[in-house]
Amino acid sequence: MAIAQPTAGVRPSRWQQMWKSVAIIFESRVATVGLAMVLFWLLIGFISLVWTPHEPNASDFIQNLPPNGTNWLGTDHLGRDITSRLMQGTQVILLKTRLPGDSEISIPGGVAIWGVIGSLVLGVTLGLNAGYRGGWWDQIIMQILDALIAFPRIVLYLVVIAALGQGDMVVILAITITGAPGVARLARSLAMDIKTRDYIRAAETRGESVRYIMFREILPNARGPLLVDAMLRVGYAIFAIGTLGFLGIGLPPPDPDWGNMVNEARRNIFSNQTAVIWPSLAIATLVIGLNLFADGLREELTRYQK
Amino acid sequence: MLVKDCMTRHPIMISPETLATEAQKIMGENDVRHLPVVGDGKKLLGLITRERLALKPDMMGSLNVWEITRYLSNLTVVKVMLPTAKVHTVDSERTVERAASIMSEYKVGCLPVVDDGVVVGIISEIDLLHSFQDMLGLPADGVRVTVRVPNVKGEFAKITSVVSHQEWGVMGIGSFPSPRHAGFYDVVLKIPNVHKEEVRAILSQTAGHEVVDVRDVV
Amino acid sequence: MTGKQKKSPVLKVEDLAVAYKVRGGEIEAVQRVSFEINRGETYGIVGESGCGKSTVAWAIVNFLGANGYVKRGSIKFQGQELVGKSGEELRRLRGDQIAMVYQDPMQALNPSMRLGDQMKEVLTVHRGMADDEAAQHCIQMLERVYMPDAANVMRRYPHQISGGQQQRVVIAMALLNNPALLVMDEPTTALDVTVEAAVLDLIAELSRDFDTAIMYITHNLGVIARVSNRVGVMYAGEMVERGTVAKIYKNPRHPYTQGLMRCVPKLGADKAGSILHPIRGRVPPPTHRPAGCVFGPRCDYIQDKCREERPLLRDLDGIMVRCHFAEEIIASEWTPSEELALPQIEAVSSDSETILELNDLKKYYEVQGSSFKDVIGLGEKRYVKAVENANFTVAKGKTLGVVGESGCGKSTLIKTIIGLEGSTSGKATFMGFDISGDISGRDEALIQELQMVFQNPDSTMNPSYTVGQQIGRPMLRFGTVPKNQVRGEVIKLLESMRLGENYYDRLPRQLSGGEKQRVGIARALASRPNLVLCDEPVSALDVSVQAAILNLLLEVQQEFNTTLVFIAHDLSVVRFFSDEVAVMYLGQIMEIGPADAIYAPPYHPYTEALLSAVPIPDPTIQQKHIRLEGSVPSAINPPSGCRFHTRCPRRKLLPHGGKICETELPNWQITGDGHRIFCHIPAETLQTFDPVITVESD
Repeated sequence: MAIAQPTAGVRPSRWQQMWKSVAIIFESRVATVGLAMVLFWLLIGFISLVWTPHEPNASDFIQNLPPNGTNWLGTDHLGRDITSRLMQGTQVILLKTRLPGDSEISIPGGVAIWGVIGSLVLGVTLGLNAGYRGGWWDQIIMQILDALIAFPRIVLYLVVIAALGQGDMVVILAITITGAPGVARLARSLAMDIKTRDYIRAAETRGESVRYIMFREILPNARGPLLVDAMLRVGYAIFAIGTLGFLGIGLPPPDPDWGNMVNEARRNIFSNQTAVIWPSLAIATLVIGLNLFADGLREELTRYQK
Repeated sequence: MLVKDCMTRHPIMISPETLATEAQKIMGENDVRHLPVVGDGKKLLGLITRERLALKPDMMGSLNVWEITRYLSNLTVVKVMLPTAKVHTVDSERTVERAASIMSEYKVGCLPVVDDGVVVGIISEIDLLHSFQDMLGLPADGVRVTVRVPNVKGEFAKITSVVSHQEWGVMGIGSFPSPRHAGFYDVVLKIPNVHKEEVRAILSQTAGHEVVDVRDVV
Repeated sequence: MTGKQKKSPVLKVEDLAVAYKVRGGEIEAVQRVSFEINRGETYGIVGESGCGKSTVAWAIVNFLGANGYVKRGSIKFQGQELVGKSGEELRRLRGDQIAMVYQDPMQALNPSMRLGDQMKEVLTVHRGMADDEAAQHCIQMLERVYMPDAANVMRRYPHQISGGQQQRVVIAMALLNNPALLVMDEPTTALDVTVEAAVLDLIAELSRDFDTAIMYITHNLGVIARVSNRVGVMYAGEMVERGTVAKIYKNPRHPYTQGLMRCVPKLGADKAGSILHPIRGRVPPPTHRPAGCVFGPRCDYIQDKCREERPLLRDLDGIMVRCHFAEEIIASEWTPSEELALPQIEAVSSDSETILELNDLKKYYEVQGSSFKDVIGLGEKRYVKAVENANFTVAKGKTLGVVGESGCGKSTLIKTIIGLEGSTSGKATFMGFDISGDISGRDEALIQELQMVFQNPDSTMNPSYTVGQQIGRPMLRFGTVPKNQVRGEVIKLLESMRLGENYYDRLPRQLSGGEKQRVGIARALASRPNLVLCDEPVSALDVSVQAAILNLLLEVQQEFNTTLVFIAHDLSVVRFFSDEVAVMYLGQIMEIGPADAIYAPPYHPYTEALLSAVPIPDPTIQQKHIRLEGSVPSAINPPSGCRFHTRCPRRKLLPHGGKICETELPNWQITGDGHRIFCHIPAETLQTFDPVITVESD
C-alpha cells in the first residue's frame, strides 16, 4: 500500500490554519466591530506607555478647563490633562499590574486581565471537580459557591478590600472571588456534558488519573465556551474596577483609574460638566466592545459546531 | 359487496380556489371525469364534472376572444362546481347495488363516497362495471355457462349440489330473471379447468334445468 | 379488487433537483431524481447516509427549511403540481392527504401533552369533530395499530410508553386523516429487531387496508425487501437504479447496488465461508461530486466515458439504471479489486487456553425510590438487575458475540468486565486475575490487557487532539513503547488500519465516521491488549463502511491473536463475526454456544423469535413468522421464574400451559458441543422446530 505520499503541499501550513481560525471573527460583523473597539483601546494603551500629550499626573494647567487646542478633552480639578490621564488609565486595566510595596515594578497584563485569569483558574478547577466527580464533591463545591453568589457583589468587594487593604493585587483577588462561581457553574455544566462521551470512557478504561481526565481530556473541549465567557468577564471586571474606583476603594493613586476619574469629576460637576463624560465613555466603549466581540464570536462558533 | 370495497380510495381532490383551467388540465392528465372539491379536513364542498367546465354557448357568443381569456383566468372552481346540496353521495357502508340504483335513478356518472361529510373515496360507473366483471369472474379463464331454472325454491340448491358433486370450483356467479320468460331465472356460473361439453352434459341432466348458453371465456 | 389498471400515480417526481443556499453559494443536495408511487404501493428508497434520501422526502412535504428550495423538476401529487404552490394550499394538502413519520417518534409527539389530546387535536381542529367522537376515532385507530390497552394509552404522556409504542402512536396519528400518501423516513431504525418486525408487519397491513401509498426511506436493504414492492437506489443525490424489488435483488445492474449487496453479511454466513466486500472510498459531499458518473471514483468498472459524461437513467430489462456499461457488468463475475485486500481467515485452533471466565457474575444497580421513606433512606432497597448470573468462558483468539435487544444488559456486561462498573457478586477472572472489582483496584498491567472499542464514531475520539496523539497516549501511559519510537509505532498501527501516515496530524473533525472508528480501534490496540471489548462498533456506520470495519477487525484479530467480545444487535453481523454467540434477555443469558449451533435448531424460543424478526435482504428467503407480544418487562421487577415467560410463544408446549416457567428457573440444558439453552422445554422438543429461515428453491 502506498502510504507515505508527500503531503506537505496538501496540508495547510500552521500559519494558514491559524489565519483560518482567526478569520472566523471577520465572518461576523458584530465581532469585527467589537474587536475594533477593543483594539482601539489597546492601541491607546500601548501608545500611552511611550507617549502622552502631557504628563498625566502633573498639574500643569488651569483647573477645570473645557476642551481646547492644548488640552483636547480639557483638564480636571487639579489642572491635569484629561486626554493623557484617560490614555494612561488603559494601562492599569489592560496592560500592567503594579506589585505591592513601594517598588516601581509592574508585571504585564492589566488588573482586569489577571482578575479574569484568576477566576478562570479557580472556577475551572472547582467546576471540573464538581462536574466530573459528581456526588459529594459536586454537592459541597456547588453549595459553597452558591453561598458566595448569595452575597451582593459590592459587599464581597468591600469585605475583601477591608480585610486586605488597597492595592492592585487586592482588586485582582476581589475580581477572582466574585467571578469564580460563575465560571465554575459553566465549567461544571460543560464537564457534565463532556464526561458522557465515549472518549472519556476510553480514558477511564486506560486507567487514567482523575486529574488527567479533567484537565487533559475534558478541559480542551470546554475551551471555546469558557473563552467566550472570559471575554465577557473582562468586560465585567472593567466595570467592577470602575465601580471600585468610583467608591474610592479601587486602584491606588497616583496612576489614573477611570472609575476614580469619574468619581472626582462627579464632585466637580458644577464647575466642569464635560470631565465626567470622557472616562464614562471610555469604560462604556471598552465594555461594549468586549461584549460585542464575545457575542459575535459565540454566534460564529456555535454556527460552525457540528 | 359494499361501496368501501369497490370505490376508488384517495381520489384526486381539488380545493375551491383551484382555477377552472387547472381543474381541466388535472382531469385531462389523469384521465378522470369527476373531481370532488374539498375544503379543510377533506369536507365535501362540491363536485366538478366535465360538463361543468364547458363554456355555455350563449356566453361564448357575447364575449370576444380577450374577454374569454380574462374570464377564464379568474374563474375558480367554486364558481362553476355543483354545490354539495345538489351532489348525490353515498356512504362507504352501503351496498354496491344501492350505489348503482342511485346512479341510475339520477343519471349521474359518479358518487363521492362521504362519511361524516369527509370524502373517503369516489365510486363511478367504471368502478361498478369493474365489480360486475369481477362478480361474473371475467378476469380469469374458464367455462361460462347459463342455466335456466324455474323460479321455485330449491332449484338453485340442485345446481350447487351438482357442482359440488363434480368438485368443480366456481369463480363467478350471478342470477337474474330470464328475459322474456316469466317464472324463470337465468343462473350464470363461471367454472375453471373444465371442458365446455362436459359442463353442458352434466348440468342439463337435472330435470327442469336448461343450459341456455355455454362458452369458453378467455 | 382486481382489474383496476392504468391509474395515475399518487406521487410522480420528475427530474427533481433540490438546492440549499449556504454561505458562499448553493449546494444541490439532490439532482435528477425521478420516480412514481402508485396507489396502495410501498416504494422503498435506499442508500447510504448523505445520499439525499431525506431531502427528497422533505421536498415532497415542503419541509426544506428556510434555505432549501426545489430548483428544478416537478413533484406531482394526485396529478397536481406541488412545486410553486402557495404555502396555504400546500399546508392543506399536507395536513389532509400527505402524512410523514420520522425516525424519532419524539419529534412528532409533544412531550407535555397527553397522547389522547394530541391525537384528538388532529380531528377536532382540522375537521371540527366533537371531542368525544374524536376520542372514539382515536381509540379505534390505536386498536387498529395493535396498541394494547388503547383507551388507557390515550391518557398517558409520550415518555410513559416505549419507543415502539410511540412509533405506533405516530403511525396511528398519521393515518387518522386517511392520507393518500405516507412518507416514512427510517421509521424503524431506532427500534429493536423484534419491535421493528412488528411495525413492518403493521405497515404492510395498513398499506393494503387503507390503500395508502407509502414512500419508505431506509438504509437497510433487508427492510426494503420485506415491505416494498418497488425500490429506488439513491447515491450522492441521484437515483442510480430503480425497479421492482424482486428484480433488483435478484440481479442488480448498477455497480453501486451490486456493491451494497456484497457489503451485507447474509444471515447464516460466517467468516470462514464468506467474505464481505466493502465499497472503497466514501460518498462524496455535495460540493465535491465528480463531473461524470457520480459513482465513478468508487466504481470497479470505471472507464474514460464515465469520467466525462453523466450517464442517463435508461431501461434495461425492466430496471431503470444510470450506468453507461450496465449490460457489460455481470455481478457474478465480479472480482475484488487489488486495492481491497481482504483478510484471509484461518480457523483458530479450537483448544486454546481460556482467557476470560465469568462465574455467576451479577451486576445490580440500586434505584432510588420516590417515596418519603426512600428519600430518608429507610425504604426497602430496590435494584435494577442488569446482569444476572452470567457464566461463560472465552478462549484466547476467539470471538464471543453477544446479542439481545436494547436494555438486555449486554452493555452492562461489558462495562463490568472492563471495570467501568464493579460487579455486585460473582467472580470474573481474566488471565488468571480476579477482575470482579472496578478499574481502580486493578493492576496497570491488567488494565493494559483489556481495552474497548466504542459505538459512536463521533464521540469515540477527543476532538481536541490529533489522531497521532490519541493513539500514542496508551503507548506512553503503559510504557509499551519507548517515547522516541511512539511516532513510528503509531504510524505502523495506522497503516494496519489502512490509514496513511498523513492521518497522524489530522484532527477528528477532518475524518469520516468510518475513519474515526478505525482510529478508535487503533487506540484500543495501541497497548497490545489481549482482550478487546467491542460495543456495537459498526452499528452507527453505513453498510459499505461497516463491511470494511468488520474485515479490519478480523484482520487485526488474526495479526495480534486478540480475543474479542463483540456486542451487536444485528444478528447477521454477529453470526458473521463470532465464533461463539450468547443471546441475552433482561440481563439473563438465554442461550450460548458456537455460532452455527445458535442459528440452527434447537433454538431457545427467544432466539427463534429474534431470528424470525431479522429483515433479510433477499426476497426469495422464507422466514418463519413469530412475533413477540408486549414489550420487554422492567428490569427492576423482572418476571419470576424464567424471565422470558411473559412473552414466550412456545410456553404452551409445556404441560399446564407452562406453569412451571412462572415459578421456577429453568436449568441449563446442554445440547451439544458447548451449546447450552436456558429453557424448561426439553431439548428434544426444541430440536423438532423447523429452521427459521428457508431458502426458496428457484
